[in-house]
Amino acid sequence: MSRREGSLEDPQTDSSISSLPHLEAKIHQTHSLARLLTKYAEQLLQEYVQHQGDPFGLPGFSPPRLPVAGLSAPAPGHAGLPAPERLRLDAAALAALPPLLDVVRRRQAELNPRAPRLLRRLEDAARQARALGAAVEAVLAALGAETRGPRPEPAAAAAAAAAAGVFLAKVLGLRVCGLYRDWVSRTEADLGQLVPGCPA
Amino acid sequence: MPAGRRAPAAQSARRPPPPLPLLLLCVLGAPRAGSGADTAVISPQDPTLLIGSSLQATCSVHGDPPGATAEGLYWTLNGRRLPRELSRVLNASTLALALANLNGSRQQSGDNLVCHARDGSILAGSCLYVGLPPEKPFNISCWSKNMKDLTCRWTPGAQGETFLHTNYSLKYKLRWYGQDNTCEEYHTVGPHSCHIPKDLALFTPYEIWVEATNRLGSARSDVLTLDILDVVTTDPPPDVHVSRVGGLEDQLSVRWVSPPALKDFLFQAKYQIRYRVEDSVDWKVVDDVSNQTSCRLAGLKPGTVYFVQVRCNPFGIYGSKKAGIWSEWSHPTAASTPRSERPGPGGGACEPRGGEPSSGPVRRELKQFLGWLKKHAYCSNLSFRLYDQWRAWMQKSHKTRNQHRTSGSCPRADAARREVLPDKL
Repeated sequence: MSRREGSLEDPQTDSSISSLPHLEAKIHQTHSLARLLTKYAEQLLQEYVQHQGDPFGLPGFSPPRLPVAGLSAPAPGHAGLPAPERLRLDAAALAALPPLLDVVRRRQAELNPRAPRLLRRLEDAARQARALGAAVEAVLAALGAETRGPRPEPAAAAAAAAAAGVFLAKVLGLRVCGLYRDWVSRTEADLGQLVPGCPA
Repeated sequence: MPAGRRAPAAQSARRPPPPLPLLLLCVLGAPRAGSGADTAVISPQDPTLLIGSSLQATCSVHGDPPGATAEGLYWTLNGRRLPRELSRVLNASTLALALANLNGSRQQSGDNLVCHARDGSILAGSCLYVGLPPEKPFNISCWSKNMKDLTCRWTPGAQGETFLHTNYSLKYKLRWYGQDNTCEEYHTVGPHSCHIPKDLALFTPYEIWVEATNRLGSARSDVLTLDILDVVTTDPPPDVHVSRVGGLEDQLSVRWVSPPALKDFLFQAKYQIRYRVEDSVDWKVVDDVSNQTSCRLAGLKPGTVYFVQVRCNPFGIYGSKKAGIWSEWSHPTAASTPRSERPGPGGGACEPRGGEPSSGPVRRELKQFLGWLKKHAYCSNLSFRLYDQWRAWMQKSHKTRNQHRTSGSCPRADAARREVLPDKL
């Protein structure tokens, strides 16, 4: 394995980490999960735009990138961070996503009650984000790294939940689905750098 | 805009949008993050309108200039740019829109009316709900499987096309007392159906109706009154067996078992058999097999594979006078008639007659049989096997070629014969 930043052969890694084969297996497994969820996240996005109607899903559709409390897109400098820091950010984002996906699902249940597949995908996405987040935290623990960074509390984060119109709700739902896709994809890439044999 | 259906009067019902708990959001901001860009708002937000009505909307731009003026703004509806002549600038910061004769919404989540800046970026949006109030649901039909549950189906009014999400709720109550109950398991046998799984009373009538509700109003069906015992159906008869009748090339024997769930109640059950040739789609139906669990199909083609199905109608349960409801057909069972060198007769049917063994072709056949008996029977121990031997002899002797073989044996005729000819089957 190359001596990339964050690699398993990093001499600064805490000596109390799990055995190497076990850690490698865990990383490999979590990476496979992230890869699978990236595919599901793309499918969710496609299903979502289909049910909102045009212009959602049209080529060139560029809605406002509304900020979402407690979660932003991966920063441009994310890939340059040390591996434990990247994974920590991945875990934090994956932990923040489930309640947001739940809100989107509840709103879509009102807007698209006859879209069971969309509603099921949103429900699955929340569950899958939790599972992937837990797996990433397990990898961090096995690496001997601190697992949890500062995390916004949902109640504190919801400073002013404005009464949103339907169009705005559609845009926000798209934003949340996009963030979900961005973060599982980012997690897949971050874990991929730790998997032996994977290209940097 | 293409013409839509005319409405009696233009209406615009505005419903307050539900809040979004837990999700912090900002006022719809600029497309470019970090820029002190414009914001805008469309009014009305998420209106509900009748098909054919008109809409007057405005897009009001807030924020600082430059660029934050109504000039250059434009509208799209479901991604399509609206003609400029439908818009007009009300003032420096407000662009108005007038839409007439609206069509029904393209999707249930609402049509997307969007206000764009000159560069195409999205400033604001509003979702239009254009449709019709629900019409009265009708044609409610219900059935109970083995007296344990109740499933109902109905037809939505106006073929269901309201262009708006319409909620259907099946309600029921005991006719003489009790409160209204609401069915909870929907779409069990199609989009407009509901299943009540338990806690149903027998020997007392229920009142059942359907309520339809959408953003534009509600409608209620007529009330259907029924007793569970009058709408009972059951499972198809199990263990359907089809077999040859010795060497008889034009007959098959069908046997089945009473549906077990109502086995102890099926005193007056009716059965129906249908059968078809393997590569045909045309079924022949044998009606009113009465309370038998076996039947013999006759007049079949030799050397031919037949598919056979049976179903049951458990009418008369606990003295119900109603017609009862047929079960589903049993799974097809196949069997083949023995092959013959001669072309076989045309299709026939097992037609159990209600005490009318002397009618038509059977009578002719019986007469021939008795004639043959007088000539050939030299012992008094007549048997049904002799009858079969006679039939086989008839086929070989070509004497059946000119006979009209449209019926064969049937259980009642068989029973009548068996009184005279002991049953060897």
